[in-house]
Amino acid sequence: MAKYLIKRIFYLLLTLFIVITVTFFMMKLLPGTPLTNQQKLSPAQQHLILKQYGLTKPVWQQYLIYVAGVFHGNFGTSFQFSDQPVSYLISSRIGPSLLLGAQAMILGVIPGILVGALGAIKKNTWVDSTTTIVSILGISIPSFVLAVLLQYYIGLKLGWLPIADWGGFAYTILPTIALAASPFADTARFIRTEMVDVLNSDYIELAKAKGLSKWGVIYHHALRNSLIPVVTIIGPLAVNIMTGSMVIENIFSVPGIGEQFVKSILTNDYPTIMAVTIVYSLMLMVVLLITDIVYGIIDPRIRITNTSK
Amino acid sequence: MKFNKALALGAVSGASLLLLAACGSKSSDKSLASDQTLNWVETANLPTMDPSKSTDIVSGGTLNNVDEGLLRLGEGSKLRPGVAKSYSVSKDGKTWTFNLRHSKWSNGDPVTANDFVYGWRRTVKPSTASQYAYLYDHVKNFSAVNKGKLAPSKLGIKADGKYKVVVTLSRPQTYFKYLVGAQAFFPQNQKVAEKYGSKYASNSSSAVYNGPFKLTGWNGTNNTWTLKKNKQYWNAKATKLAAIKFQVIKDQGTWLSQYQSGKVDEIITDGTQYKQLKNSKEMHLRNGASTFYLEMNQRKGFFKNNVAARKAISLAINKEQLVKNVLADGSQAPKGLVPTKLAKRGNTDFADAAYVKSGTAYNLKQAKAEWRQALKKSGRSSLSLELLADDTPAGKQTAEFIQSQLTKLPGLKVTTTNVPFNVRLSRSTKGDFDLVIGGWSADFPDAISFSSLFTSNNSYNRGQWQNSAYDTAIKNAEGKDADNSAARWDDLVSAEKTLMSQQGIVPLYQQTQAQLLKSKVKGVQYFPTGAQWDFSHAYISNSK
Amino acid sequence: MADEVKLPADAFEPLDKSKHLDSEKISAPNLTFMQDAWRRLKKNKGAIIAMTLLIIFFVMAFGSAFISPHNPNAVNPQYANLPPKWPGVGINGFNGTLVQAGSRVDAYKAAGAASSVHYWLGTDYLGRDLLSRILYGTRISLTVAVVATLVDLLFGVTFGLFSGWKGGRIDNFMQRIIEIIMSIPTLVVVVLLILVLKPGMMSITIAIAFSSWTTMARLIRAQTLELKEQEYVLAAKTLGESSIKIAFKHLLPNLSSIIIIQTMFTIPSAIFFEAFLSYVGIGISSPKASLGTLLNDGQKNFQFLPYQMWYPAIVLSIIMIAFNVFADGLRDAFDPQSKG
Repeated sequence: MAKYLIKRIFYLLLTLFIVITVTFFMMKLLPGTPLTNQQKLSPAQQHLILKQYGLTKPVWQQYLIYVAGVFHGNFGTSFQFSDQPVSYLISSRIGPSLLLGAQAMILGVIPGILVGALGAIKKNTWVDSTTTIVSILGISIPSFVLAVLLQYYIGLKLGWLPIADWGGFAYTILPTIALAASPFADTARFIRTEMVDVLNSDYIELAKAKGLSKWGVIYHHALRNSLIPVVTIIGPLAVNIMTGSMVIENIFSVPGIGEQFVKSILTNDYPTIMAVTIVYSLMLMVVLLITDIVYGIIDPRIRITNTSK
Repeated sequence: MKFNKALALGAVSGASLLLLAACGSKSSDKSLASDQTLNWVETANLPTMDPSKSTDIVSGGTLNNVDEGLLRLGEGSKLRPGVAKSYSVSKDGKTWTFNLRHSKWSNGDPVTANDFVYGWRRTVKPSTASQYAYLYDHVKNFSAVNKGKLAPSKLGIKADGKYKVVVTLSRPQTYFKYLVGAQAFFPQNQKVAEKYGSKYASNSSSAVYNGPFKLTGWNGTNNTWTLKKNKQYWNAKATKLAAIKFQVIKDQGTWLSQYQSGKVDEIITDGTQYKQLKNSKEMHLRNGASTFYLEMNQRKGFFKNNVAARKAISLAINKEQLVKNVLADGSQAPKGLVPTKLAKRGNTDFADAAYVKSGTAYNLKQAKAEWRQALKKSGRSSLSLELLADDTPAGKQTAEFIQSQLTKLPGLKVTTTNVPFNVRLSRSTKGDFDLVIGGWSADFPDAISFSSLFTSNNSYNRGQWQNSAYDTAIKNAEGKDADNSAARWDDLVSAEKTLMSQQGIVPLYQQTQAQLLKSKVKGVQYFPTGAQWDFSHAYISNSK
Repeated sequence: MADEVKLPADAFEPLDKSKHLDSEKISAPNLTFMQDAWRRLKKNKGAIIAMTLLIIFFVMAFGSAFISPHNPNAVNPQYANLPPKWPGVGINGFNGTLVQAGSRVDAYKAAGAASSVHYWLGTDYLGRDLLSRILYGTRISLTVAVVATLVDLLFGVTFGLFSGWKGGRIDNFMQRIIEIIMSIPTLVVVVLLILVLKPGMMSITIAIAFSSWTTMARLIRAQTLELKEQEYVLAAKTLGESSIKIAFKHLLPNLSSIIIIQTMFTIPSAIFFEAFLSYVGIGISSPKASLGTLLNDGQKNFQFLPYQMWYPAIVLSIIMIAFNVFADGLRDAFDPQSKG
């Protein structure tokens, strides 16, 4: 296990290095510069400013400087925030994003599992139909539409919760709901399918025949085995939430990195784009590593050591 | 040294006068609400508070409220005293002397002539990489210092004692007085700047302020910050607001909801919102100093030396319909390149003085006739053009509209390409387009900030329209007539008339912001150039 | 001594050899896998309704390329933002009236439109007919989603199967590739592709396909890892079946449910991703429209012109629900195990 972990972490670093390299050279294709006032500057003045940012050096030198910087936690200076290191920009903004992401993951996955399982257990009854409709609705409304509806009806018309802004738990509720809708629906549908399959399998029949109670069978055998594939979609769900957060943070004026990422893309602030890309990638890789380990633990049929044979 | 003009500004009690002007009615019965907090919105984050590095309207506006230069812009873009009580200009227009008042930074340090010298040198020296340093281009030795060929100390500014600043220009510049009110010319506290180094002005506590307010609660990247009344400000008794809470909202729908629920006190409406709310008593139209126009590539090919073709394009576009039905956000049809309310001489607005009707008119019949003539001249029967525009909502809407208008010309096919701002800039500078929609906004209230764009070989002249009469007029305005305001005015007017009658460009619209402002908020001043808002005389009234 | 029972010679009748040669024969007609699935699918009313709806939407969306109530790109600024008006219907919401500044006004009259002018679903900010825009947008959204999904299917399934089946080093290497691709946020990929290619449908389709096939590949690979330890696969292996044959005969049928579910996840998520790109500002560029851009334009004006968001949203939701219900039906039909 330890050997496996070391190996995986080595691969993780390798992947990270590739991501850094690929994004760096891809970003060099973008026409972004720190010249927010480019329109009014003469070419000579532009050159002076670019020199200050180290952008007049050959690309390979810039690359080496960048890579060396990244391993010291230095992602350069943002083109939008001329005084802020990108590392500070991210560290000061990641809190709200992580909080919303975690809340949305919990609010999406746990009810998703329950609703999906309920649908499978009560297959072909009205319970099943209701849960199916609820989960299908969850994936048929884009998060920004849902966000607008929540904001307008619950925030403005009813005045129950803040419309936007940040500052306390109340402010997180609407964005969390908007963000959680899609992971909820994905999980519910996935669990239902898996559980229906599992409930039809022989070992469930056997367990039933042994005289285990219905809920005992469901809890000990059906649910456990249905959870395995859910683990495989946690990674994609995390990506889903990251992507969704860009839109949701924008609508609810949440001071997170998703909102900043959108702004960076629109303004070609490539030090920020690169850094956020690297941070997102790292978070995702950690999630994937954890899910793989968990996958091995909960499913005895998969042996982790297989991969290093 | 001899001074031919000496203008004393200090004695005027700016506060009460300006309040009257801003409210438009007697406010002797003005009853201040007990909570003097204003809730304002920005659509972007505050990127920096360093006056040398500020380029955007958010930091520009904030700086203008927390700091103060030698002079301040007041109502109707008239100047009022800032840190300078008075100033005088030498006969040759090259030496400007500013007499400073005794005032303090928010940390208690005195604001002295040396703070200006330090601030100006810091902005110009190459290692600062200021993107607005070019505003100094008339200041002596600017370009050598900016390129690092001369030491910053050679810049044409020096302190004469603690409270007198003497500026030397390389050539006369009548509008220099407007420039010294801009944030790139603000004083900077050397002690503080050196103490924080690269962290200087990167959050609210690593800077000091000499203006009506001081900044608090800004960590450098967050979405909210607050301006609090600066008790050290020399005119602090005129400041009524205790605090201005800023909030960043990037989504237009969210902004409206926040406004309606009373969480924020103002909103700049977009087209649809404006259409629905334009009759509201809270609606104010803010005429900006920016014009959007269409440039036709005249480097080669069809539009080069083809006035008929350029006229046809202009005549085929209904600018009234563009602003009323398409943008519908309060923007106005243009009178020419230079926007209205930017520059005035006596009671005459520059845009009126230089108005050429045919330059912005719409007449499809005539357009078709001109177009046939243009096609005939170039020996073609049909033409296909690419229209390049920004990928912003307004950019897309305008491009789609113009495309639909131009396809009414016989034998013309137009395709649109919407690209990010940077791409649009680089492609238009390279001349990689047929038609491009661009815009310009003035940094200071003088027509030259627009007129200088379209001289031959100017890099901002994306279409490379060339006209020697135009070039001469601009050269005179900047050269031999620079210190003669009447002749200079005539030069600029004739240049504008040439541009319009030759249809060097096609003006499309003058950008206007339609703002809803809660009626309890009084005395907020709007400037079309530079920093947009001045809160120094704003207050929250009890009566609605 | 045994009792001998004498049976008469005619106690037994000889069987007609030609008639009952194979007593093992199944009397029901022989059905192929697809026929069997179709038989089961027909029993599922919901799935049939969903399928019909999808066919209708496809026909209407793609038919609108030839017959459309209006030209979806015809700009008519004086008729901008008109609400829906149905001839002869007086109900608010369908009579061309709108709440403006607190009072209900006849937007058609205000725009100076003749009484014969009516837009079934209203118009947008440039006065384009919203119904035609929605049909057109549906066409583009469906095209983007279906093409992206096909690429996803072909690529993802092959990749996942191969990786899972081979295992070991090859699997490890292939997983690294997936991990690298998956760990670059999709948006960055899209932005770059949009820049490198020209902005438009093509680059968006490629970008969506490029970023979505990995999920399919991972799921297929995980399932393959599980399946290849099953007895019947081991048996087939032992009997010397070729890997390709095993993949097609044993693995694919057992993977079909996961493929279908994932495909049905991919189509809506492709439509959604496109919509998301529109919100961020780098989606399908005008005058082209997709359901995403329409929704995004609509949500901006939701307070005043709710119909501009509701109609595209309803169309999108119906398509989404139909895809999902149909997918459920297909899954039940394809996968006899889960007949339940």
